[in-house]
Amino acid sequence: MKETVKIGMLSFAHGHAYGYAGAMSQIANAEIVGVADLDKSRGEEASKRYNTRLFASYEELLSSDVDAVVICTENLYHREVTEMAAAAGKHVMCEKPLSTKIADGRAMIDACKNAGVKLQTAFPCRFAPNMVQGRNAIQAGNIGKVLAIKGTNQGSCPGGWFTELSLSGGGAVIDHTVHVTDLMRWTLGAEVVEVYAEISNLMSHKNYDDVGILTLGFDNGVFATLDSSWSRVPSYSTWGNVTMLVTGEEGSVWIDEFNQHLNLYNDRVMRHSWEGYTDNLDLGLCQSFVDAIANDTAVPITGEDGLAAAAVALAAYESNKQKKPVKLADIGY
Amino acid sequence: MRKVALIGAGGIGSVHAGCYPDIANAELVAVLDIRPDAASQLAEMHGVPAYSDAQTMFAEVEFDTVDICTPTPTHIEYIKMAAAAGKSICCEKPFCLTAEQCREAISVCNKANVTLFVGHVLRWFPEFRRAKELIAGGSIGEAAVVRTSRASGHPKGANDWFCDYEQSGGVVLDLGIHDLDWLLWTFGPAERVYARGLGTSEQGKSDYALATIRFKKGVIAHVESSWAAPTGFTVKFEVAGDKGLIEFVDKDVITYAEAHWKADQTDVTSNESSPVKESPYLLELRSFYNALESGTPVEVTPKEAMSAVALALAINESIRTGLPVKP
Repeated sequence: MKETVKIGMLSFAHGHAYGYAGAMSQIANAEIVGVADLDKSRGEEASKRYNTRLFASYEELLSSDVDAVVICTENLYHREVTEMAAAAGKHVMCEKPLSTKIADGRAMIDACKNAGVKLQTAFPCRFAPNMVQGRNAIQAGNIGKVLAIKGTNQGSCPGGWFTELSLSGGGAVIDHTVHVTDLMRWTLGAEVVEVYAEISNLMSHKNYDDVGILTLGFDNGVFATLDSSWSRVPSYSTWGNVTMLVTGEEGSVWIDEFNQHLNLYNDRVMRHSWEGYTDNLDLGLCQSFVDAIANDTAVPITGEDGLAAAAVALAAYESNKQKKPVKLADIGY
Repeated sequence: MRKVALIGAGGIGSVHAGCYPDIANAELVAVLDIRPDAASQLAEMHGVPAYSDAQTMFAEVEFDTVDICTPTPTHIEYIKMAAAAGKSICCEKPFCLTAEQCREAISVCNKANVTLFVGHVLRWFPEFRRAKELIAGGSIGEAAVVRTSRASGHPKGANDWFCDYEQSGGVVLDLGIHDLDWLLWTFGPAERVYARGLGTSEQGKSDYALATIRFKKGVIAHVESSWAAPTGFTVKFEVAGDKGLIEFVDKDVITYAEAHWKADQTDVTSNESSPVKESPYLLELRSFYNALESGTPVEVTPKEAMSAVALALAINESIRTGLPVKP
C-alpha cells in the first residue's frame, strides 16, 4: 500500500480542476506534486494557489515521479493527454465528458488498459449523501420495481471554450447529459439502449446547443427524461441543479443534490442568490481515486462508465438530427 | 338569467354546483346523474330537482344551458342531446375521447347554432394566467425551454372509470391536458411530440408519462403527468427564455396553514393551502355565462379544446409506438 499518492494536475481549462485540486490538498494520503498548463499564466496562478511546482509542459510533468494525473483540459484534448499519461505509466482521473467521440473514449480506455494504469471518470455527483441514500433505498427494494426517472441537470452557460465547438465537441447536451446519465445507470444497474432528444439554441441563438431534453430507454424497461439545458439565466438565484425523481411501483425517491442553501439578498449587486452548503462532493471523488491507487484496487467509476454516459449525449445529438429515437448500437457504441 | 341543468354529480360536478350561488347571471335548476343517489344528494344540497334519466329531465325541466361534468366518453352523447334541444353547452375537459368525437361535437353545435365551451380551468388559475401575461409582455424575452409538472395519486371516480383507458384516456388525456391547453394557449401549435409512459390501466396502479413537445415556433416543453404521487397533489412549471426565467412551485406559495391536535399532542393533523378570493372554477363559469349573455366568443373555443385533445392523443400514440408523432 502506498503511503502517499503523488498527484499531478494537467490543465485548469475546466474549472472543476480547482475543486479537485482543493480536494486533493485536503486528502491525507495524497499530495499535489505539480501542475502543468498550456496557459502559462493560469498554470502559474494554480501552482501558487496550491503551493506546488509548475512544470513547463505536460511531458515534463509526466516524466516526473507522479503516480497519477487529473486531466481537466478542454474536452477535445482528453484523448491525447490521457494517452500521453498512460504511455508514461500514470494513472488518470479524467474530467467529464470522457470523450466527444465513441472512438476517442475507446482509445483512452484501451491505452490505459494496455499500459496497466487506472482510468477514472470524474463523476462527483455519485458522492452526494442524499444520492447514496437514495440509491441504497432503491437497491434495497424500498420503492418496489423502478418504473421511471425524471432527471435534470439544468445549468448556466459557462461561456469560454465550452461554447467553442472545436474545443468542447458540443454545448449544453454534451456538458450536462453525462452526470445524471451516470447516476441513473449507477442506480438502476442498467444500460441505456435508446435515446430521443429535442435540442436547440434558443437561449443564445448562437452556433452551440443550449437547450436539450432527452428521453432515455434502459435495457430493463425503465424510461427516463433528462433536461440538460443551460437554461438558468444570468439573473437566476443559483448556477443550476442535479435532481432525480425515481418513481417505483411502491414508492418514489426524490434527490436534489444541491438544494441545501441559504437565501442571500445582497444590496451590493441588487440580487438574490443561493449560498449553498452541500457537502464537498469532490472530496469523495478524489479520495476514491487516491484510495484505488494506494490500495491497488479497481476505481469505482471507470472509463467505461464515462464512455457509456458520453455515448448517450452523442446519441442525443444524432436523434435530434434524425428527429427519431436512436439506438446506441447504431452510433457505434 | 341562464337556467342550468348540471349533468354529472361527481367530483367536478359538485365543484361547479357550488359555484352557481356566486354567478349573477346563471342559476342551477336541476341535477342529472345516472346514479340516482348521487343525483339526489347533490340536488338536495342545492334545493333543485334530481334526475337519473336524461330524457325525463329534458322533457320536464325548463332550462337553456347544460353543464356537462360526466366521464369523458359520455360527453359526445350529452353534447348531441343538448345541441338537438338548442341548449348552450359548458363541457368539462377533456372535450372528448377522440378527435372524431370532437369534430362531431363542433359540427352538431354549429348546425344547431348553440354555444359550446370547454372548461380548461387552468386558464383561470392566477399563476398560469400571470405567467402567460409575463411571457406575452416580453418579461423573459423569447421562450426557449419549458417544464410543467402535475402530479397526484390515482383519482377515484364512479366505477373507477379513470382506471379504464377506454374511458379516461389515461393520465395524459385526463390530467396532463390541463398543461397541454395552457402550453398551446401560450406558445401556439405543436410540431411534434415524443413520450414514454406506463400506460397502465389496472385498478389502483400508477400511471405516469413524460412527454417532450416541440412547438412550431421552436420552443421545447417537457410535460410530466403523474398519477403516481399518492403523497399529495403538486403543480410546478418553469419557462426559461433568452432574457429571463419564470418558475412556479405550488409548495412555495402556501399562504395558510391550519393544524389541530389534542391537548396531549396526539391525533395531529395539518393542512396547508393558498386560498384565493374567487376560485378558478367560479371565474371559469362566470366567463362562460358572461360570454353567453353578451354574445361574445367564449374564452376557450371548441377548436382549441380539440387541439388539446389531439396533442394528448399524439402523446398517447407516441407512448404506444415509441416514435415521434405530429399532432
